Amino acid sequence: MKRLFPTPIFYLLMVLAIVGGCSKKEDAKEGDRKGAVQTIVFKHFKPPGEPRFFLDLIERFERENPNIKVKDEILPASTDEQHQYYVINLEGRAKEFDVFALDVIWVQEFIRAGWLLDLTPYIGAQGLRGMLPGPVSAVTFKGKIYAIPWFMDAGLLYYRRDLLKKYNLTPPQTFAELINITRTVLQAERDPGLLGFIFQGKQYEGLICSIMEFIWGNGGDVISADGQVVIDSQEAGDALAFVRDLIYKHKLVPELVTTADEEITRHIFGAGRAVFMRNWPYAWNLFQRADSPVKGKVGITLMPHFQGKESAATLGGWQLGINPYSRNVDAAVTFVKFMTRYDSQRHLALTMGLKPTLVKLYQDPDLVASQPFITELLPVMLRARPRPVTPFYMMISQILQAEFSAVISGIRPPNKALASARKQIERILELERP
Amino acid sequence: MKRAGFYLLLALIVLWSIAPFLWQLITSLKPVSQLILLPPLLPKALYLFHYVNVFTGQPFARFILNSLIVAGSTTIFSLIIGTFAAYAISRLRFPGRGLMLALVLSVAMFPPIATVSPLFLLIRWLGLRDHLLALIFPYITFTLPLGIWILTQFFRQIPRELERAAWIDGCTPFQSLYRIILPLALPGVASAAILIFIFAWNEFLYALTFTTTEASRTIPVGIALFPGIHELPWGEIAAASVIVTLPLVVLVLALQRRIVAGLTAGALKG
Amino acid sequence: MAGLGVIARERRAAFLFTAPAIFCMAVVAFYPILWALYLSLHRRLPIFGISKFIGLRNYIFLAQDTRFWNAFFNTLYFTLVSVALEFILGLAIALVLHQAFRGRGWVRAAVLIPWAIPTVVSARMWEWIYNSDFGVLNYLLVSASIISTKLNWLGDSALAMHAAIMVDVWKTTPFVALLLLAGLQFIPQDLYRAAQVDGAGPLTSFRHITLPMLKPAILVVLLFRTLDAFRIFDAVYILTGGGPANTTETLSIYSYKLLFQTLQFGYGSAVAVVTFVSVMVISFFYIRVLAGVREG
Repeated sequence: MKRLFPTPIFYLLMVLAIVGGCSKKEDAKEGDRKGAVQTIVFKHFKPPGEPRFFLDLIERFERENPNIKVKDEILPASTDEQHQYYVINLEGRAKEFDVFALDVIWVQEFIRAGWLLDLTPYIGAQGLRGMLPGPVSAVTFKGKIYAIPWFMDAGLLYYRRDLLKKYNLTPPQTFAELINITRTVLQAERDPGLLGFIFQGKQYEGLICSIMEFIWGNGGDVISADGQVVIDSQEAGDALAFVRDLIYKHKLVPELVTTADEEITRHIFGAGRAVFMRNWPYAWNLFQRADSPVKGKVGITLMPHFQGKESAATLGGWQLGINPYSRNVDAAVTFVKFMTRYDSQRHLALTMGLKPTLVKLYQDPDLVASQPFITELLPVMLRARPRPVTPFYMMISQILQAEFSAVISGIRPPNKALASARKQIERILELERP
Repeated sequence: MKRAGFYLLLALIVLWSIAPFLWQLITSLKPVSQLILLPPLLPKALYLFHYVNVFTGQPFARFILNSLIVAGSTTIFSLIIGTFAAYAISRLRFPGRGLMLALVLSVAMFPPIATVSPLFLLIRWLGLRDHLLALIFPYITFTLPLGIWILTQFFRQIPRELERAAWIDGCTPFQSLYRIILPLALPGVASAAILIFIFAWNEFLYALTFTTTEASRTIPVGIALFPGIHELPWGEIAAASVIVTLPLVVLVLALQRRIVAGLTAGALKG
Repeated sequence: MAGLGVIARERRAAFLFTAPAIFCMAVVAFYPILWALYLSLHRRLPIFGISKFIGLRNYIFLAQDTRFWNAFFNTLYFTLVSVALEFILGLAIALVLHQAFRGRGWVRAAVLIPWAIPTVVSARMWEWIYNSDFGVLNYLLVSASIISTKLNWLGDSALAMHAAIMVDVWKTTPFVALLLLAGLQFIPQDLYRAAQVDGAGPLTSFRHITLPMLKPAILVVLLFRTLDAFRIFDAVYILTGGGPANTTETLSIYSYKLLFQTLQFGYGSAVAVVTFVSVMVISFFYIRVLAGVREG
């Protein structure tokens, strides 16, 4: 029986060996001031595409600023996980990172919670001159600037240029046209594996981005300009009913959208299995890759609108903010200014398809040469509509996600869902008023 | 005939257990353009670049090493601490035995997401941020309930007469634990070891929150950090999951033999 | 025969033996739990810098919160169904694996694979398997003519919860099987032989020998599986995000959204505390029912 159990000495040795191996602690570099070199930590999601392109930019910065080193730390792709990470760290006053990337919908919330450094003293009140108006208003509060727009996203309608051309059709401008075109193509192609129109319908933030484009496209909104909750307006109800009908009545949108996020829709469309797709600009670069089945067959345009109304695109995008507990503010500011500069944004646009926030770049000769449709994108970006810019947004988002999801899964009719949404949002705005 | 039925049942069980994993394996060998195409079910040629990318895109070998260290230390320490505690609860007379068992269980009852924030503050206060100990210490604690309960139940099934004789001869509690109880409770110890190792190997939430740099990253976080802002490299994820499941299979095989050996060495006498 | 000296010696040994465990738990487990309890009595909204003691008001609000009750019953349903399935399947597998046959070690290793794959990976894997358009499940079912149209596993409110349950059952049955198998190996073969001599059939010896002797292992299995199922988060969150329309939202998912998405630290903690208390009540019930196990 003894041979089943090595002696206690063996255990002890093993334990020591393991504990010894445990000292893999990173040298504390944050806030280091060895000589004149400062190190700043930059936290963000992993950039799409080759890591090389991103690192090139950072290396360029370090060359221009020999006394600053940048430690690049990545977070998971899921925006929820990033949000969670920042919440835990900033609530705990962590100093371990200096610069971080924020989704546009978090900025107001973080400003109110005191988790973003006021940048106005460092870049001046005119610091965001030349940038797209949507992101600028998202990062401003009471005239002060708290983050710098880094790159921009807006919802677009992707379509199969080859299929539309085959049947002599032009891209739809109204939803009625969308229905007709989709029906025509599907009936003519007679391919059971071809889907009509797909968008993000899973119960998550992306659902709101997709649905709001329908609601705004019919003249509806969540909160009106004078602060009234108008989500249950006739326009909003009609738009939502239209979406539901697309799925269950016209059967032009497959039921699987209720589980689809950006990646799933991107995969389906990218395999040539859908006529129309609503998605962010990032997908286009992926469709142009050498091994893409839809290379050269994809066109993009504005999301359609309802008759007599205007098209809308949901504003997305990421901004760079500075941790108020950072100990390297000057270096951090230098870095942020660099990353949002004209040539840096151009680099990111050329190599990774991240659309710029500086208006002038949409006419930049290099960019236009490599991505000709970028000039068409500018009007979309200029008109991109932000989701309600309020620190309550995350709470509102929770409510809307549930109600929108209920409608498109056929669980609840639109008027009931929106009436309930309105009640809940009003309660939030009242109750939570400090 | 009965034997054939038995083997059929076995085949079904194995199939059910590994079919999704097999699907992972197949996916990991498909080139990017075929990842979501059905048919074909199987790739026409083997595409090995996902596996290459797993190791070249990030220091995945380092992640594996970190996971081994963390899971190994957790298992050993948790078993040691748990064994002592379980022995005390099941064999020694002291006030509050039942309470202790209940307290131990309560540790396993609290939703982890509500403990992340305060624990994070604690880890930072202790200066353990980015240190593997920041993971080992919580993992030990959260595997203690399972370990202690498993071992307690197994220890209780061992007849007291065996120890009584030893005590009369002057054996200390420690010696009777070590010489008599442990060898007999081997199936329980081995099972606990496997479950604790797997828990530490796969734990994600704390690993994500308490470690930030690649030097201290473990496998689950490493896999979660494959994707870009929207892009999901499914091929690499499939390849990585195949790679990380193999050590566990090896571990289980090794420990399984131990259980069988323990029994055939004339363990328990009626 | 036990004199005072022996009792003292036992007490001392007991203290020494349990001290490390108590220390670990006090620092790493009790402190966060107490902190969460403390938070649950406050209204804590960092967005507005609010941190106010409000006593039990969070709990009063919770009692009327329909979303909370929705999450509660979702969780209860999930727990009951998945634990029952896991237990039955796990027991069956343990019984099969208990037999002697060639390659037993390999089969046991294979059976453990679902438990061994990290949840973040297996949940994503199942998300793609369940995908109604290009998922392999629909493909196989339609090819085998078991269903005629593709099912929307994760997006149909009637199917989503059950799809999530299946994933949990697949993943955690090995846990049950492993522990019950270890318990089976503890049962002396002589008992079965004696029963056979007395003319008892396999079903009888199962009921009168196997099950009673397995009670300790069954207790651990049911207890820990219930604890885990009631607190389920990762798998369901990755598969459905709590949707569609919160039909798969569990207590942990609701708590997570409150804490980390809407930053309502006080109320989110209260939901976590209620989850904790519910689990305590259920465990108490288990231990009572299987009380015959405790040989004191």
